[in-house]
Amino acid sequence: MAVWTRTRGRMMADPGLVVAFAAVGALLVLFVLYPAVRVLIYPRLADYLAVPDNPRWLQAARNSLLMMVLSTLTATAVGFLYAFAISRRDMPLRRLFQTLSVLPLFAPPFMVAFSYILMFGRQGLITKALFGLDVNIFGWQGLWLVQTVAFFPFAALVIGAVLEQISPTVEYAALNLGATEGGVIRTVLFPLARPGVAAAALVVAISVLADFGNAVVIAGGFPLLATEAWFRIEGLADLKGAAVAVALLIVPTMILFLLERYWVGQRTYTVLTGKGTRIEQPPTPPLIRWLLFGGCVVVSAFVVIVYVGVLTGSVATVWGYKWTPTLAHWRLGLAQGGPQLITSLKIGVLSALLTSAVAVLAAFITSRPTLPLRNAIDFLAVLPAALPGVFIGVGYLLAFNGPPIILSGTVWILILALSFWHIPLGYQAARAQLKQIDRSIEEAAQNLGATGMRVLWDVYLPLLGPAFMASFINAFIRAVTNLSIVVFLITPRTLVATYSILAMIGGGFWGAAAALTTALLAITLLGVGAARLVLRVGLRPIGAT
Amino acid sequence: MPDQPHVRLVGVTKRLGTHLAVDGISLDVAEGTFMTLLGPSGCGKTTTLRMIAGFYSPDRGEIRIRDRVINDIPPHRRNTAMVFQEYALFPHMTVAENVGYGLRMRRVPRPEARRRVALVIELVGLSGQERKFPHQLSGGQQQRVALARALIVEPEVLLLDEPLSNLDAKLRVRVRTEIRQLQQRLGKTTLYVTHDQEEALAISDQIGVMHNGRILQVGTPAEIYFYPANRFVADFVGLANFIEGEVVDAHHINVNGLVVTVARPIDRRGRVTLVVRPEMVRLLPAGAADQPALRGRIAATAFLGSLARYWVTANRSEWIVDVPAPGHETLHGDVVLLLPSERIHVLTE
Repeated sequence: MAVWTRTRGRMMADPGLVVAFAAVGALLVLFVLYPAVRVLIYPRLADYLAVPDNPRWLQAARNSLLMMVLSTLTATAVGFLYAFAISRRDMPLRRLFQTLSVLPLFAPPFMVAFSYILMFGRQGLITKALFGLDVNIFGWQGLWLVQTVAFFPFAALVIGAVLEQISPTVEYAALNLGATEGGVIRTVLFPLARPGVAAAALVVAISVLADFGNAVVIAGGFPLLATEAWFRIEGLADLKGAAVAVALLIVPTMILFLLERYWVGQRTYTVLTGKGTRIEQPPTPPLIRWLLFGGCVVVSAFVVIVYVGVLTGSVATVWGYKWTPTLAHWRLGLAQGGPQLITSLKIGVLSALLTSAVAVLAAFITSRPTLPLRNAIDFLAVLPAALPGVFIGVGYLLAFNGPPIILSGTVWILILALSFWHIPLGYQAARAQLKQIDRSIEEAAQNLGATGMRVLWDVYLPLLGPAFMASFINAFIRAVTNLSIVVFLITPRTLVATYSILAMIGGGFWGAAAALTTALLAITLLGVGAARLVLRVGLRPIGAT
Repeated sequence: MPDQPHVRLVGVTKRLGTHLAVDGISLDVAEGTFMTLLGPSGCGKTTTLRMIAGFYSPDRGEIRIRDRVINDIPPHRRNTAMVFQEYALFPHMTVAENVGYGLRMRRVPRPEARRRVALVIELVGLSGQERKFPHQLSGGQQQRVALARALIVEPEVLLLDEPLSNLDAKLRVRVRTEIRQLQQRLGKTTLYVTHDQEEALAISDQIGVMHNGRILQVGTPAEIYFYPANRFVADFVGLANFIEGEVVDAHHINVNGLVVTVARPIDRRGRVTLVVRPEMVRLLPAGAADQPALRGRIAATAFLGSLARYWVTANRSEWIVDVPAPGHETLHGDVVLLLPSERIHVLTE
């Protein structure tokens, strides 16, 4: 025990560790805390006090909360049913459903809205061409549908992870004690999934509140806080108004975030499993199975339609009038947006690398039990998850437009904003992985003479490979497809693909927008594939030593 | 019918995927009997138990409880409560809710259910823990909850699937004694699955030794130990020395020149295998024997407190010999081995 404490003491004195600690701390303060504070103090107190007198603000706030309630309810419900269905091993087409439900995670955030305008709008392939209906999809109903489809995969992912944890033996135990198959679902599976459902609902609610891409494309004249911030700057150059809008938005997202982290996060049931044979699930009763199957088919159809819409949109000559295929939109889209695709890709790779490096380093530092201020660093590393993209966008715009650091107009402001926004996922993955690693490995390294940073380099980095990869892939996808941050920080010299697509949709160039969206999606998927390959191949020799 | 078995398996076969897990077994379990299925992992014992519980249905054969064939009765209508290896407690329910679950499913009125829950919780010695959740209990307490949860529904047959394997060694011995006492007090017909031969010997009325999906032998613990049906059973249950010999007549076997007398007459000719348990051999210093004996030399010694175990080279093979209550002195060097006739068992297959 005495030796142990002494080793810890020596680690504190380890200069490498101290430098890393100071660097990570400084970076998080400068690029997470500082922009956030700048947003909040930019409007004067009088500006905040004037909010209740402004009917437009109140309307936007009410609408944002209304959409949060509606879309969270439906997306969580759909996500739960979907996750429950694919957690049943005897579900037909289970793998296919699973794949379909993760697909939207790779798509740009406005893609569902855009595609549904093409499919269900006034010129819709399904509404007009197929059924001859005249439907106006713009407005809150359209947004509701779109957000449900866009965000149910998040809910399904969170709930699915909880359902996977449930040992089939518990189901057998319930059957064995006289529960019918329906009774097992009602008395055991549902209650066990409840914490997962709560966590999913909170995650979805934050996403809905922060949703900029879908709202800006499909909400029409329906004011929301997230879009209002952009309209203030874009139309009125009203920085103060934008800051007020995002400051209002952060109140509910912060509450939801704190609830998720400190209440629901603590309440997941750990199913006790000793050693034992992993046995197969008991069969799902046919009626329930087929009902769930039907539900999955319907939901999957809505997902597939997203992709079909954009793909057909990119080749139909004149949408709604002339359906003959053409490559004209692809030529136009790539001519206009080709260079921006390259820029997006570069920004994606650079920011994902930066995200992952900072995330892993921060996780290593906060997992040292003796370092002071580690809780503060921990909080700053997860805080961005509570901040909507538009908040970050406005924050960077305000923070780095003048001294001490001027970044506006450069590509670096984009890279930094995207990097630090995406840290939480990688950070949490790395933290979780560090927890799994037995301390004795580190003690063995110390015992053989390694010091603090040396331990990170020799022992933890190779073992943190999977967390680094998860962080990189997530950060890359989200950086390449981001719209909510880049709309605030873009300049004519630093145009990115998502922004061009938005401009094309706004200008009525649907074909070109669809072509560029498809290209962006392809690049995202290729990038993810390449990252997996590079990281896997690149990490193996390190892991082997 | 008084002699009718309580549980009866007839030619039960089960294939899991391509693996023939249970291969045509038949078994009778009398009312009130503690029957243990003993065998190495993968021998089919758990699959058999799960078929009785109704989680799998047999591909062929019949499972009966009394005179009723239960092959097609779903698990929740069988009343064959089971204690699972990993307990499978409901993590979102308290101890009382876990124990009362079976009654809730049977729609037993609340006041009665509450009374019975209290009774069973007391029976397994968990009074005062009713409001705790499983993760707040120790492994031994969780095990008791699992047992209480199964007992409360007053099952026709109690099934236990390696219930002690997640407990540490000392606790295992204590809990198994408690389970046995409880079973005898309640007179409950019980099927118990384990791979631990010592546990099986200690706890059972009857043992069925299983291997490769078949039941090799059914008998009382003493029968299984002293008269194993074949080499596998002899080897799996306890330690055994296997000695090859030539039959001379019904009571004599020639082991490499030494004629050994056996108490039970042999009806076979030619080469046979003898089973000699380590503690049946008497070990004496060289020259101390006044009767025909095997000469040997001690190769290794282990002092185990209540006994000393010797590895003795004799008759060109290695023998394991246990000497009880060895005291401070152990033997070494040249020795002689005496083989008492009443203790030698001749394998018949």
